[in-house]
Amino acid sequence: MLGALAAVAIAPPALAERGSDGHVNIIYWQAPSTMNPYLSGGTKELEAASLVLEPLARYDQDGNMVPWLAESVPTVDNGGVSADLKTITWKLKEGLVWSDGSAVTSADVIFSWKYCTDPEGGCAQSEKYNDVADVKAVDDRTVTVTFGVAKPFPYGPFVGAQAPIIQAAQFADCLGAKAPECTDANFGPIGTGPFKVTEFRPNDVISFEANSNYRDPAKPAFATVTFKGGGDTAAAGRAVLETGEFDYAWNMQLAPDVLAAMASKGKGQVVSAFGTLVERIMINLTNPDPALGDERATAKHPHPFLSDPAVRQALSMAVDRELLVEIGYGDAGRPTCNVLPAPEIYKSTANDGCMAQDVEGAKKLLDDAGWVPGADGVRQKEGVRLSMLYQTSTNAVRQDFQALIKQWWADIGIETELRNIDASVFFGGDPGSPDTFQKFYADIEMYANNFDGTDPESYMANWECKQAPTPETQWQGNNMPRYCSEDYDALVAQMAQTGKLEERAKLAKAMNDKLMQEYIIVPLVDRGRVSAHSNTLGGVVLNVWDSELWNIADWNRMK
Amino acid sequence: MNEAPSAPLVRVRGLKMHFPVHAGLLRRHVGDIKAVDDISLDVNESETLGLVGESGCGKSTAGRAVLRLYDITDGSITIDGTDISNIDQDKLRHLRPKMQMIFQDPQASLNPRMTVAGIVGEPLVEHMSLSKNERLDRIYELMDAVGLARSFANRYPHEFSGGQRQRIGIARALALHPKFIVCDEPIAALDVSIQAQVVNLLEDLQERFGLTYLFISHDLSMVRHIADRVAVMYLGKIVELAPRDELYATPLHPYTQALLSAVPEPDPVRESQRKHIILTGDVPSPANAPVGCNFCTRCPKAEDICRQIDPEFREVAPGHFTACHFVTDTTRKTAGSTAGNEANT
Amino acid sequence: MLTYTIRRLLLAIPTLIAISLIIFLLLDLAPSDPTANLPLTIPPDVREKIRQSLGLGDPIYIRYLLWCKQFFVNEPLNMLEQWFGWDIGGDRLRVLSWQTRSPVVDLIVQRMPQTLWVVGMSYVVGVLIALPIGIISAYRQYSWFDQVGTFVSMVGFSVPTFFTGVLVIVIFSVWLGWFPSIYDTTHQVTDWQSFLFQIKQMIMPVAVLALFNAAQISRFMRASMLDNLNQDYVRTARAKGMRERTVVLVHVLRNSLIPVVTVIALGVPQIFGGAIITEQVFKVNGLGQLLIISIQGGDLPTVQTLTFIFAVLIILFNLVADVLYGVLDPRIRYD
Repeated sequence: MLGALAAVAIAPPALAERGSDGHVNIIYWQAPSTMNPYLSGGTKELEAASLVLEPLARYDQDGNMVPWLAESVPTVDNGGVSADLKTITWKLKEGLVWSDGSAVTSADVIFSWKYCTDPEGGCAQSEKYNDVADVKAVDDRTVTVTFGVAKPFPYGPFVGAQAPIIQAAQFADCLGAKAPECTDANFGPIGTGPFKVTEFRPNDVISFEANSNYRDPAKPAFATVTFKGGGDTAAAGRAVLETGEFDYAWNMQLAPDVLAAMASKGKGQVVSAFGTLVERIMINLTNPDPALGDERATAKHPHPFLSDPAVRQALSMAVDRELLVEIGYGDAGRPTCNVLPAPEIYKSTANDGCMAQDVEGAKKLLDDAGWVPGADGVRQKEGVRLSMLYQTSTNAVRQDFQALIKQWWADIGIETELRNIDASVFFGGDPGSPDTFQKFYADIEMYANNFDGTDPESYMANWECKQAPTPETQWQGNNMPRYCSEDYDALVAQMAQTGKLEERAKLAKAMNDKLMQEYIIVPLVDRGRVSAHSNTLGGVVLNVWDSELWNIADWNRMK
Repeated sequence: MNEAPSAPLVRVRGLKMHFPVHAGLLRRHVGDIKAVDDISLDVNESETLGLVGESGCGKSTAGRAVLRLYDITDGSITIDGTDISNIDQDKLRHLRPKMQMIFQDPQASLNPRMTVAGIVGEPLVEHMSLSKNERLDRIYELMDAVGLARSFANRYPHEFSGGQRQRIGIARALALHPKFIVCDEPIAALDVSIQAQVVNLLEDLQERFGLTYLFISHDLSMVRHIADRVAVMYLGKIVELAPRDELYATPLHPYTQALLSAVPEPDPVRESQRKHIILTGDVPSPANAPVGCNFCTRCPKAEDICRQIDPEFREVAPGHFTACHFVTDTTRKTAGSTAGNEANT
Repeated sequence: MLTYTIRRLLLAIPTLIAISLIIFLLLDLAPSDPTANLPLTIPPDVREKIRQSLGLGDPIYIRYLLWCKQFFVNEPLNMLEQWFGWDIGGDRLRVLSWQTRSPVVDLIVQRMPQTLWVVGMSYVVGVLIALPIGIISAYRQYSWFDQVGTFVSMVGFSVPTFFTGVLVIVIFSVWLGWFPSIYDTTHQVTDWQSFLFQIKQMIMPVAVLALFNAAQISRFMRASMLDNLNQDYVRTARAKGMRERTVVLVHVLRNSLIPVVTVIALGVPQIFGGAIITEQVFKVNGLGQLLIISIQGGDLPTVQTLTFIFAVLIILFNLVADVLYGVLDPRIRYD
């Protein structure tokens, strides 16, 4: 029912007729090499395939799950997920047919699972089917997935662009080692989506035409699609925004001024959407002083001044996030005060006070905490000077950020020394190198991180006590600040046993707020995805949680 | 024999051939190489005028300039009554059949991608309207005349020996019934054994077709053999011009004397008695010729006047011209009589 | 000449086998991972499974011999089957690309038309404009024409196509809107209109590449003409009283073309190699783009097969160049 509502909500004005809007041109500056998402994990292949192959449920632009081939999304509440969180039961919509006219049955769903989990197949999406013990047909339209362990979030299999349903009849002889030999099937899979492949030229171009058996008789509005691949970002942007040859261009990773200049031609517009990628400052709660030898940057020695919450808060207050976005990311970024900025249901509003820069407030805070400016303007207390080493990876935008932030911090009386490290070393994770972001031999470090999919459970578990990198764990772990709180660990444990989405959202927000309000992490910019589309192309809803082309059935030509 | 016919076939007056020298960033004209600097000579019908000199003296340039293979700097050239010194290349082209040239290097002067028939027949296509068969007949005729087997007609130049190649070159020159042929060191690149054959062939042909030759060579003995009159060049100028026997018997110009003294004498007794004049120093650059007499830098008799005034090229005895300040009237008389005697014997 | 050609062809076989082995070893030793471009969210154990399914678990000699069997036996048999409709039978595994999981030879066949159209045409156009420029430049050495020609050649040769390509796109697609900036590889010429469109979409890439090719060849032509213009036989031709046109076009040009023709022949394999950068700039997506995508994606079978085919073409056209030299220059005989 939720699905039906969602479908109505995003439907364009009625009276549309299938194929009445002619042709649409899409350009991806990376060219898809296959149409079978199970054989390639690349985004370009997933998105190209999403015009044809569909999952049982997928995510909308806010990261909410919407039923797609299924009638509804099974939950514990509606009985679709068992109380022990070990089984989930999906029911297909009635009357679903493949583009060749044959019926979609539960056998196809089971086959999709078998196809991807065949040990010799080299399926790129097998992670989605982790812990699946069995998939059984209840009847022609119903399947039950059984997990080997309790799955509070059982929406891996058959959900999202990575795990669509493929036709059992077409791929029957393509299991396991034979998968790559089925070139015709891999290049032209039969699907349930709004379009079907008419010609596939690997790494070059794909031609589609409307699927005459698509379940909504009024869709898609376009009769044919050309999906061109290759080239470079700037050329793709030019083709949409400047020459108008193409209607849609994917992933416009261009400098803000370049993109703005292109968009000013008036042929098209830039759209952005935001996922979970957050550029953040991590604060080291332990002392990185080299004099400590092996115990350097471990929990044994708290940081001399960053262990003071007032100092950490002042650091956050002094930053002008709006300006950082403007300089570094333009449309591809927005200020954030959360380390978990999305999906919508997980987004906390409790910390929005950080949006406005407050230099005076920061000064007052430090004054009140007893940190007073010394002769050189740097604040100090009991012989401890507020002087820090600030490290990040080598990257033009990050160095701009470092310079700006150093200035702001100088304004409130905190001295900063800057350092940048080659990305391959910084993120390399080599336990022998002193310069990795895990070792954190600095007071402050900056980088971006996100998580796959919409479920933040494992992401929020990053800041458990046991996740702190230490010499004993070979410096592996994601808890860079070495944060350790029993309360927090308890929230993590609770989430691992909670199946209800609303409850999970509440827990995730609580964890986020705790990190934010203790100023363990200073989030700066929520980095989004940017695409461009022609002014005459209607119905585009950019989606970072699923394929960007997820709603291409609703695209139309605006008159 | 000393009496020149009233109208020589070739008449050259004050011929100058200067090549500009460009240098510097903007390739400015900074001077000239005076390869041929004011020469005058006549070639009479059916005679052979030998033109001798050291290599680099400008004799080849003079030969080419006479045929207007260059656009000359100054002077006049009249061939068979037509002044060709300034006419454009297109009109000149129609006169080419009358005047031909045989080149020094028979290998390089034949287009490597053309067969013998092509090389010999090309001028026929250009200048005569013959049918294919007539042309072939003419080609065979010419090949017979120079002593080449007809079966060679479809071969390429590289398949021949040097002497044979020179015969191809001669056949090619003869194709259009020329009157005047400039032979530019035609035997210099050949084996000694072949040289005589080619020279004899040239003499033969002269007799048969009434040809007139300007025979350029550095080989004094060969010139003595073939030429009727001989001109000696030094650094772009003719220093002496005389009937052959007179020149070899009583050379007047110190340069001619030096040249002739260097020719070895076959008789060892006479050779040992001969006085050799050894010239010292190098030939000056034609881009930077000395003031006064061109030869003054190397002349054993040079005095101050030689370094200031360029001696006039004047007739000192009938048919005997030279350019030297020290050739006096006395010498002139003796020289004249000697020349006369020799010519009469 | 025939025996010479046959002998050379026979000699090419061991050379090519050695080349194929060297390419294979080089590619194998180079650090490359077909799963490197997959999103970071795909865990290492899944990557390992993908690598195993591509056959990377086998020892190197097995993989090499397998490729040899696929390329030298299976593919030709397959071609025979397709061309003559025979049924040779047997289950033959073709050379499969790791990226697309489809037969490499099919990919190459698919990419061939646009590469031949664009890169081949640019070569033809380049040669056609280079020859007259080279001839006139040499004949009028140091004239303004020669100076301009030298300057243009220098520009064409030294300014990279990724610069000229983008420049012409900005001028002719963005500002003037005359030509499409993105090449449509699916376009089919069926009538006059579609032919015009094909011309329009080819103009820019062909022009950019032709400038580059012409720059090179016109320099060759000029140098070769200058060599011959001062030859004695040219003077002979003038002394014969030949027209200047005949002298230059028959005598000088025909001799000057000998080295130029061989240079042109040696350049032909480059056409098949595609023009990696120009194809990328104009999205022509021909063989050059296939090669670069395969290299980036660690698609060893495709890279191996493509580079080996290039090697075959290079050897073949070396032979063609040698034979042409013999045909054109009567002084050279291979016997």
